[in-house]
Amino acid sequence: MKRSIRQRIADELTGAALPFVAFCIALNLTVGQITALLKIPLYLDSIGTVLAAVLVGPWSAVICGSFANILASAFGNPSMMFFIPVVIVIGAFTGYLARRGWFKRWYLVAIGGVLQGVLAAIVSAPISAYLFSGVMLSGTDFLVLYFRAMGNSLLDSVFYQGLTSDPADKLITYLLVFFLVRGLPKRLLGQLRGASNIQQGQAAA
Amino acid sequence: MRLDLSSKLALVLLLWLCAFLLDWSINLILITLLILVRYLLPGYRPQSARASKSFNKFLFYGGTIVFLFAGINALFLRGGDVVLTIATLDFHEEGLMFGIRTAVRLLLLSISILLFFASTPLRDFIRFLQQKGLPPQLVLVLLLTLHFLDQLPARIHQVFVAQEARGAPVRAGIFSRSQALFSVVSPLVLSSIIESIDRGTALEVRGFLHKPVPMPAAAHEQRSRNLLTAAVILLSVAIIIYSVLRWLLV
Repeated sequence: MKRSIRQRIADELTGAALPFVAFCIALNLTVGQITALLKIPLYLDSIGTVLAAVLVGPWSAVICGSFANILASAFGNPSMMFFIPVVIVIGAFTGYLARRGWFKRWYLVAIGGVLQGVLAAIVSAPISAYLFSGVMLSGTDFLVLYFRAMGNSLLDSVFYQGLTSDPADKLITYLLVFFLVRGLPKRLLGQLRGASNIQQGQAAA
Repeated sequence: MRLDLSSKLALVLLLWLCAFLLDWSINLILITLLILVRYLLPGYRPQSARASKSFNKFLFYGGTIVFLFAGINALFLRGGDVVLTIATLDFHEEGLMFGIRTAVRLLLLSISILLFFASTPLRDFIRFLQQKGLPPQLVLVLLLTLHFLDQLPARIHQVFVAQEARGAPVRAGIFSRSQALFSVVSPLVLSSIIESIDRGTALEVRGFLHKPVPMPAAAHEQRSRNLLTAAVILLSVAIIIYSVLRWLLV
């Protein structure tokens, strides 16, 4: 029998998964504090979404990303609301890769991270170009302007700007999550349903 | 005048429509009105000092970037007449108008969302979503997120200081600092999983996952028919019809 989306979400969000997804949302919103403390020029703002996708499942990751963007809008970054489709794609794609076993080998994780970055750039470019004309009130606006001044169309310029930052950011996010979950104790990982997405040896609790 | 959340959300949607369908000069008037509304309408006053600060910060930051963006566009996107020359720098009309149109649209979109959230306590918003049928699991996720958001900044600082004390290269070169990222995030995730197991068990034992989350009633519950929401929706439809007609006739 085909289950509804509501049922699938309810199936994923049980036990430890529910508070863990809440933590992942909070991590998405506060990771900027860590990168600022360490003075690292990275966003990593989807690290919680990727963690949720790997350790819980794709539906939880989609919820994690969507809620994080809604809350980010509430906390002073209003344009994040319009990028919910991008985080839905990130969550669903990462969850799919995790279920296919891509998080069991580091090189597959690296390839997945780059693919994810390109996909994020493709999905976010039309939103950024058509809704905001490429202006996101951040430093990357000047990169868009540079590409436009080179004679590219607005959509192309926004896409090229995405390609310069997204694949690297997602690659680092994916690798960070990969090494993070590998370092976690098996006993704890076994409490989350996505444990089987990682190494076989790690999955058994 | 107190506004319920349905009306406020309908107003946000109306402003989004205006941002995309109406002329930039009308949108500029709407932005000014929104900034005034914040002071004049009690329903739109920021619900905390933090929200007020966040709103003011966005206005300042957004305004500065918008000003810069319009200027730089006018400088680099060469088209139309030269409207201004400073030293040897020519500012072109086409780039300037593109910058102004885009900036005004972005500001209207952003301010409408920000004003909604600045004037709406998140717990009221979550309660509203629950009333509209959001499953109890998702309501719990949102409430727990607020709990984690309260805790995480202090916990991050604690882990950072502890790792620094243990000699982690948190202030060395960029590559060493990048490696230190792992040593800061790892304890956070580990402690969160332990906490999640405890909380998950407690929630299941108490049966919270399958029943509506008990939340205190709002001080200003409005259950009667909402004429304002209906009026805003009608206005939105009128704007769509006007835009379609304008597009067909021009």
